[in-house]
Amino acid sequence: MTASAPPPAPPLSAIARAVNVSKIYGSGEAEVRALDNISVEFGTSQFTAIMGPSGSGKSTLLHCLAGLDRVTSGQIYLGDIDLSGCSEKELTLIRRDRIGFVFQAYNLIPTLNAAENITLPMALAGKKPEPAWYEQIVRTVRLADRLKHRPNELSGGQQQRVAVARALVSRPDLMFADEPTGNLDSKSGAEILSFMQGAVRDLHQTIVMVTHDPNAAGYADRVVFLADGKIVDEMLQPTADSVLDRMKSLGE
Amino acid sequence: MWKVTIKGILAHKIRFLLTGVAVILGVSFIAGTLVLTATINKTFDGLFTNIYANTDAAVRQKAQFNVAFGAGRGRLDDSVIPVVRTTSGVSEAAGIIQGLAQLIDKKNEALNKGQGAPALGFAWIKERDLSSFHLTNVKGEKESRAPVAPNEIVIDKHTADKTKYKVGDTIPVLTKNGRANYQLVGIAKFGNADSLLGATAVIFTHDTAAKVLGQPGKVDEILVKADSGVSQAQVVRNIKKSLAGRKNVEVLTGAQITKENQNDIKTALGFFNTFLLVFGVIALLVGSFIIFNTFSIIVAQRSREMALLRAIGAKSGQVVRSVLFEAALVGVVASVIGFVAGVLLAVLLKGLLAALGVDIPASGITIPTNALVWSFIVGMGVTVIAAVFPAIRASRIPPIAALQQVGADQSAGSWKRIVAGLLVTGIGIAFLLSGLFGGGGNALQSVGFGAFVIFIGIAVLGPTIARPISAVLGWPIRRVKGITGLLAEENAKRNPKRTSATAAALMIGVALVALITVFGASASASVNATIDKSMKADYIITTEGFGNGTLPRTLEPQLRKTPGVTLVSGVQSGFVKIKGSVTNALGVDPKVVGSLFDLEVSQGDLQALQLDGLAVSKTKADDENLKVGQKVTVQFAQTGRRIFTVQAIYDQTAVPSYVISSAAFKQNFPDVFDAQIYLKTEGGPTPQNRAAIEKTMKTYPSGKVQDQAQFKAAQSKQINQLLNLVKALLLFAIFIALFGIANTLGLSIIERTRELGLMRAVGMTRRQVRSLVRWEAVIIALLGAFLGIVIGVGFGWALVKALSSQGIKVFEAAPDQLILIFVFAAIFGVVAAIWPARKASKLDVLQSISTE
Ligand SMILES: Nc1ncnc2c1ncn2[C@@H]1O[C@H](COP(=O)(O)OP(=O)(O)OP(=O)(O)O)[C@@H](O)[C@H]1O
Ligand SMILES: [Mg+2]
Repeated sequence: MTASAPPPAPPLSAIARAVNVSKIYGSGEAEVRALDNISVEFGTSQFTAIMGPSGSGKSTLLHCLAGLDRVTSGQIYLGDIDLSGCSEKELTLIRRDRIGFVFQAYNLIPTLNAAENITLPMALAGKKPEPAWYEQIVRTVRLADRLKHRPNELSGGQQQRVAVARALVSRPDLMFADEPTGNLDSKSGAEILSFMQGAVRDLHQTIVMVTHDPNAAGYADRVVFLADGKIVDEMLQPTADSVLDRMKSLGE
Repeated sequence: MWKVTIKGILAHKIRFLLTGVAVILGVSFIAGTLVLTATINKTFDGLFTNIYANTDAAVRQKAQFNVAFGAGRGRLDDSVIPVVRTTSGVSEAAGIIQGLAQLIDKKNEALNKGQGAPALGFAWIKERDLSSFHLTNVKGEKESRAPVAPNEIVIDKHTADKTKYKVGDTIPVLTKNGRANYQLVGIAKFGNADSLLGATAVIFTHDTAAKVLGQPGKVDEILVKADSGVSQAQVVRNIKKSLAGRKNVEVLTGAQITKENQNDIKTALGFFNTFLLVFGVIALLVGSFIIFNTFSIIVAQRSREMALLRAIGAKSGQVVRSVLFEAALVGVVASVIGFVAGVLLAVLLKGLLAALGVDIPASGITIPTNALVWSFIVGMGVTVIAAVFPAIRASRIPPIAALQQVGADQSAGSWKRIVAGLLVTGIGIAFLLSGLFGGGGNALQSVGFGAFVIFIGIAVLGPTIARPISAVLGWPIRRVKGITGLLAEENAKRNPKRTSATAAALMIGVALVALITVFGASASASVNATIDKSMKADYIITTEGFGNGTLPRTLEPQLRKTPGVTLVSGVQSGFVKIKGSVTNALGVDPKVVGSLFDLEVSQGDLQALQLDGLAVSKTKADDENLKVGQKVTVQFAQTGRRIFTVQAIYDQTAVPSYVISSAAFKQNFPDVFDAQIYLKTEGGPTPQNRAAIEKTMKTYPSGKVQDQAQFKAAQSKQINQLLNLVKALLLFAIFIALFGIANTLGLSIIERTRELGLMRAVGMTRRQVRSLVRWEAVIIALLGAFLGIVIGVGFGWALVKALSSQGIKVFEAAPDQLILIFVFAAIFGVVAAIWPARKASKLDVLQSISTE
């Protein structure tokens, strides 16, 4: 495959855009170009998977898009807002009100129970979740009987489900997940993934997920392939098999 | 192994410093106290060496009984002087007279009438070598000379400078004989100093001094200078020979009298020394909690590292030694810094004393070796002992733990802990109560030890109660602050051992402050109750100073002549020895005392108290088995043994245990002053009556006119002044606890880095992070304050009960002040949280999330 990027798929309507984004760590000899002049868009109600070899810049891209990290050059737009122009405080509030994030592990506050963890971002904003929406999410992630439990009383899969519920409870513009199933067995992983898929299809959420697993990518509407900080390929309506094939060809 | 330890220390400089601060403060207090006392001792040593520089012998009356500064010693007949003077080997001999003389300044204010340096009067000594005062000339003034005429005086340079009195001026002076005007003929220096440690000195002619300070025909003591070449021992032998027939006279060498005076001062200062050292020990106790806690947290956080060390072959002994080595290093550094800080503290305190008018002339600071030695013993000792338990715990971490995620220690209380805690607390209470109520020689030690053990006991119980109490304290915070309040409360509860150990450090200081508060309130309330119940006088004339009063007895007749005054009676107080113990006796006018102050006579007749009549308090009468009609020997300093008869027994507990008539007082204390004067007026306290009394008092500016309300307020003020000083010193312990809270939170934040990062990632603002840490600190502080207040009120209650026979009959918990303590504790919590909160809010989000 050549390094020239394929034509980007027309998004339904872009909610997040990265424009000529570069992220450079260190300087001189030790310089690492984690993102190398990337431009990419994510459409509403789309479930995008980002794939690529280890160290290709997937997490970095996600962090920059989520306002957790700053880009070295280029712009990140969330709707009309240019994140690179935002203050630390503004970024925090954007993360709280407009973005959901699920990490690979340790997503929950150990002193809070499941329900409190789910509503944490809203509570930080001094808000209460819409009861109907909250009910629906809790039901879909099948946590209704675990709400009073603390994280250490939940299985890894349950913990990730709580994290996903937390990411969605405030109806964010965008939800990011960095290898959300990386630590789970395939059954629990599948549960999470189909839930995320359902959230996009039925609840019209927008999700961007980093994964190494072709099966996981198979749940997405679109896959973006990253290598050495560049977007090297992209695929719509992927299946596990087609992703695996593409990975093999990219790996050559 | 050492390399690992030292690297660890260097990596955590702040933690190292904060741990050290607790020790530094405690050590500095102890070192400071030792240095200050040594400095003051040295000053007084020097002072007396100077005073007696040329004194080879001293002749005086034997003491009737021993009480500080010779108050148990009578005066000597001045007929002894010529006998001494003509003894072979004696070059010069001079009679010394000293007493109380208050100088009145140009604004008609009596100088040194308060509790600071005293107002002294002396007799001029012609023999230059035996005198400490030497005339000095002031530029632009007439030449100074010695007093010759009966109305001539010399005053010290410091007082002259302060009052702007000049040679030739007429100066009013108050003595036991009342107010009189004197002619200032000279200014004198005390050795090289302008004053005698800030005391005002009025120096009269010998004969005037005998009249107005002591007794005509008597001197306090005779100082002797030997002929050159005659040794002190030789001249003492000669004088003893020539005074052979005289009983009750003793002769000392100059060296002996110097030493005796030096020792008297040391004894008096010993109390002050112990008093300050107690605060140092309290500070260290608080510090040891913090060190214990810090090392426990460090060990918990490093348990993986420790386990790894053990997995690669370190023996458990090596792990213990590595923790102890770190502790010892903290101890050494803190001891050094603490010692230096202590010396600075002493310099500061000395300056403070000078500012208060007690000018210590010593140019430098004396640093005794024991200050250095104790700094190290105490600093190292406390640190290492407090670190032993965490160190042993560290060594027990199984190597396998290196491979596992080690969770935070959430255990709170086991039955074992509850039983142990209750047992220890019970033992402490037993010691405390036996000390308070059992009496006996070691009462104070027993009380102190009991309190110490109770603190330990509550600290052991701490983890079991930390959670429920935090929940209660956290409730309002949760209500107001929402999620951050909830998180703060949960954080305070998540590691009960840590929270309670941190709170325990604060608990100690708060408990002692609460104790003092309750005690002060109870004492004030008791005094008020006594005054309400027993005081019948309309006005009370008082003086500010401690001691046995400074109101000349000539004032009483003046007041009697004052229009509107219907009844006047002065009361006197002085040392006597009865039934083998030296105690204060009160002198009253038996005829009228009943109409002025109710002594609650239950047996006999106080009104009929005769010249040899004695009234005894009920408590004392029970203790000594005294009955009305019984004969008792009373020993006086000046007049020796006298036989008195018990004629009344009274229930009043607010006065000394023995009362005699003012007439008997006058007979046996020739130089007596009134301590207070009670008045009754026509129509009670009216503005006219007050104006008339104050007019009379113009002549006696050392006295203050108070009605009952003012008297009450003044009594409370006096009680609280002393207690406020104690509270100020206890603030030190609370201050140390503050560092403890900051330290614990700082360490907890390191532990919770990932979690804080996560919260920031999902939208917690920096401000919310700070608030989270702050409220956790507030909960810990309030927990400490709560425990402290409960213990303090308990201590206070026990103390008040124990002192009920001493006149403290009312228990007053002073809830308003206790609430104030609580509020202050919360504020302290906020202050303690400043540094850790800032640290937490500055964490980098992504880095925090990826930490292990
Ligand atoms: N804080 C940092 N400082 C220096 N270099 C960094 C930092 N974070 C990431 N990098 C580097 O940037 C590059 C991209 O890292 P990134 O974490 O985005 O990769 P990734 O695609 O998520 O990999 P993985 O699949 O292993 O999670 C890597 O080479 C990494 O070493
Ligand atoms: Mg990654």
